[in-house]
Amino acid sequence: MQPISDGIMSPWEPGVFSLAVYSILVLAFITSQLFLAVWLGEKKWSVEKSRPYECGIIPTGSAYFRYPVPFYMVAIFFLIFDVEGAFIFAWALVYREVGWAGYLQMSFFIVLLLVGLFYIWKHGGLDWRVAYKERYPAGS
Amino acid sequence: MESSVQGKVPGRFLNLADLVVNWSRKYSLWPMFFGLSCCFVEEATAFTARYDLARFGAEVLRASPRQADLLIVSGTVFKKIAPVVLRLYEQMPEPKWVISMGSCSNSGGMYDVYSVVQGVDQIIPVDVYVPGCPPRPEAVLEGLVILQDKIVSTEKPSRKIFHMEGGTQGTDRPVLENGVTKSADPRGPGYEGLEIRGTSVSPGWPQHWGSRSDIMWTPPARRIQLSSGDQSIGAVLKERFGDRVRQEAHTSDMLTFHIEQDSLKEVLRFLKYESKPNYKRLDDLTAIDESARRERIWNKDFAGAITDAGEADAYAQMAKRPYPDFTVVYQLLSFDSASRLRIKSGLNGAYPATGSITDIWPSANWYEREVYDMFGIRFEGHPNLSRILMPQWWEGHPLRKGYPGRGTEMPPYTFADARARQPMDAREVAALDHKAPAGEREFFLNLGPHHTSTHGLLRCIAALDGEEIRELDLEIGYHHRAAEKLGERQTWHQYIPYTDRNDYLGGACNELSYVTAVETLADIRVPERAQAIRVMLAELYRLSNHLVYFGTFGQDLGAMTPNFYTFAEREMVLDIVELITGGRLHPEYLRLGGVAADLPEGWKHAVDNLVAIFPRRLREYEKLLGKNPIFVARTKGLGPMSLEQAMDWGVSGANLRACGLEWDLRKKMPYSGYDNYEFEVPTATEGDCYARYQVRVEEMRQSIRIIEQAARNMPSGRHVTDDYRYSIPNRNEMLRDIETLIHHFINVTRGMKIPRGEAYAATEGPRGEHGYYAVSDGLGYAYRMRVRGPGFANVQTLPLLATGTSIADLIAIIGSIDIILPDIDR
Repeated sequence: MQPISDGIMSPWEPGVFSLAVYSILVLAFITSQLFLAVWLGEKKWSVEKSRPYECGIIPTGSAYFRYPVPFYMVAIFFLIFDVEGAFIFAWALVYREVGWAGYLQMSFFIVLLLVGLFYIWKHGGLDWRVAYKERYPAGS
Repeated sequence: MESSVQGKVPGRFLNLADLVVNWSRKYSLWPMFFGLSCCFVEEATAFTARYDLARFGAEVLRASPRQADLLIVSGTVFKKIAPVVLRLYEQMPEPKWVISMGSCSNSGGMYDVYSVVQGVDQIIPVDVYVPGCPPRPEAVLEGLVILQDKIVSTEKPSRKIFHMEGGTQGTDRPVLENGVTKSADPRGPGYEGLEIRGTSVSPGWPQHWGSRSDIMWTPPARRIQLSSGDQSIGAVLKERFGDRVRQEAHTSDMLTFHIEQDSLKEVLRFLKYESKPNYKRLDDLTAIDESARRERIWNKDFAGAITDAGEADAYAQMAKRPYPDFTVVYQLLSFDSASRLRIKSGLNGAYPATGSITDIWPSANWYEREVYDMFGIRFEGHPNLSRILMPQWWEGHPLRKGYPGRGTEMPPYTFADARARQPMDAREVAALDHKAPAGEREFFLNLGPHHTSTHGLLRCIAALDGEEIRELDLEIGYHHRAAEKLGERQTWHQYIPYTDRNDYLGGACNELSYVTAVETLADIRVPERAQAIRVMLAELYRLSNHLVYFGTFGQDLGAMTPNFYTFAEREMVLDIVELITGGRLHPEYLRLGGVAADLPEGWKHAVDNLVAIFPRRLREYEKLLGKNPIFVARTKGLGPMSLEQAMDWGVSGANLRACGLEWDLRKKMPYSGYDNYEFEVPTATEGDCYARYQVRVEEMRQSIRIIEQAARNMPSGRHVTDDYRYSIPNRNEMLRDIETLIHHFINVTRGMKIPRGEAYAATEGPRGEHGYYAVSDGLGYAYRMRVRGPGFANVQTLPLLATGTSIADLIAIIGSIDIILPDIDR
């Protein structure tokens, strides 16, 4: 890559004063918005109003409990493959420089990834309802 | 001097602020997406392109009360739903406004019945009342404009905004109290002490004698010739069960047997599994309270009852104890022979019991609960015998003859009631249905009664394990409008408007079922022209219903566009309906023996226009939704129902045809001359959500074919029968001769008499088989009016289809089976 020559980018000259003014203005604006929103207007408190809304019915039980997340495996797989994808993006940048050797190496890498994906797929790792179906076989 | 300046400046400032705030509020009212019944359909129509509520700045329909400041109470406020209405109102932020839309919400309207609050202003304050039943979309616009005027001209919000003394904003009207600030009298204030007109002839208990119907003569009820298949079934039962089975000698509609209690289940089992043909579907299960039968206590011969010696003997026999206390009626249907069969069994005692047949037909579950709820008859062996339509705290059984029918006869429903009478806790409802306690991983989610995707007041209670629906329970009855009790009070003709409202998107299809039942009973002949007009109207309404289905199904799955498109053609359909009948949702146009008026000038042109453009538009829409990959992915393979299940659960209509059975009453048991039309019965085999959608789209295509044929071959002649004993005469003819004038006078005032007997008739409504079972005791109104709504059977399968799926799938399934609440709860 070419070194960045002078004049292409603006010089780094932090102006402390303007930054301070800007910050104060932002803070003042946000504070005024929040204050107006809280202060203006009429508020009436009642038991019904502070109750969670659930289609007009009084909710049953608490909303705070250990919520099962059966699709966490899918989420993790997504993360893993997403990160691996980052290597491929990097390769795209240096595609010409690394030449055929790089191409073969990347192909191998991608094939490995695909093997992994198919392995997960075959074992039902992408079907996040499997856990449910095992727990409650049909007709139970 | 100084103080007055100080007083003036904030005053001027406040006035200016009032002006600005009111102006902004006026044009940014956010109504809640909240509907109770028919009125909401018109309210929703006001948001579509033709009426375009957006012009008034109120198009932002909010699904949650937290984001809404305008509550449009559109429809009937039921005692069961009133606590929910109150809660939704209270959960809205300040300031908030209320528009009461429609007669029901204003005052109870035509529903002066036990289950309806006689005016929403008894529980929440109301700013604007919009009259109508239902009000047109334009009326909603006017209501909104009146509210905007009220905001600008009377409210002084800035003092409240700046936390100063005084000022007004939002609703400041008081909640009214019946008998104090509003009159409980249906006739208005000032009539106290005068008996309600007609009380002496109205049904109920104690009985009032001397009905003028008794001095009117009618021919006896219709008698049918049994088919050879029916005769052989009679012979087989006779041979196998002997004297335990007694065949009714003459019936008006179908083969009927009386069976003793002890062999009832045996016979039913035989009919379902062994007999040839077998009766696979439990069409209907209901009961009749026989305690007010007139010949039971008032053993007097009356005109039209006895015609030959044979019956006279039977009558003398019966006169000793002509009727049991209750009769349980089972109605079966055979798909093989396209025939029905009725089984009646007598029960004695104040709160008698009989055996449950849930082990023979699973669909009997809800039917038996309904009979228990309405009559107090217990079913032994039923897994969950609890109230189904009325709330659990309800006292009494409304369809018993001694139960008051009018809401105004009962203590008024008040604000305190709406606070105290809460819907049942989700866990309790689930516990009623399932003996096993809920697992610790599960939690309960209420979907409805107020939800944009339940298509009305349906409460789904999902026991969730994460995203998955472990178990699904339904609580219905939030829309119970006492349609059957009303049938026992209104005269035969007066009841027609009530039938419209049983399936408020089905319009004339409801009326057709009802008039066909009564015409079957009294053997009224309908002129050909009237039959063709009826067919045309029924198909127009089928089209209108399926267009709404198409739009809302798409909307349920996240596609907003189809709704706006399909409502355009729906308006075309409703314009034709309005041209012919004068009504939109509720035509009130069919009459016994014909229709109310002849076709108006210009009808053909309007119909031809629709026929010309519709097929092309439909193709366009199909591309838009049916070929959309997201739509397909979300509906294909979802919520499959097998044909066996569908038959067992009494599913009918497009939902049944989506399972692969070509079963359409228009073909199998033709009525109103449907056998003269060429059309196909579309079916699909998969039985999933996509199949249900496909069948309905294809049905629209067939409907437009029928409409085209009806319009092209419209017969000439009378539009109403000349047998004026049973119909309201033509005005022209009425003015010509005295006899017709007398008939007109009698039939309009006290109503005509229908001979003693009973008849069931069902038609293929937009969402399935819609039947009416009319029982007459020879009076000017029905003795018992049973409404068999297709939705009741269809929606009972919902837990079957949705268990094991997710909430998002549940929405798709509800959308696909096309439910409407008044026809489920009636």
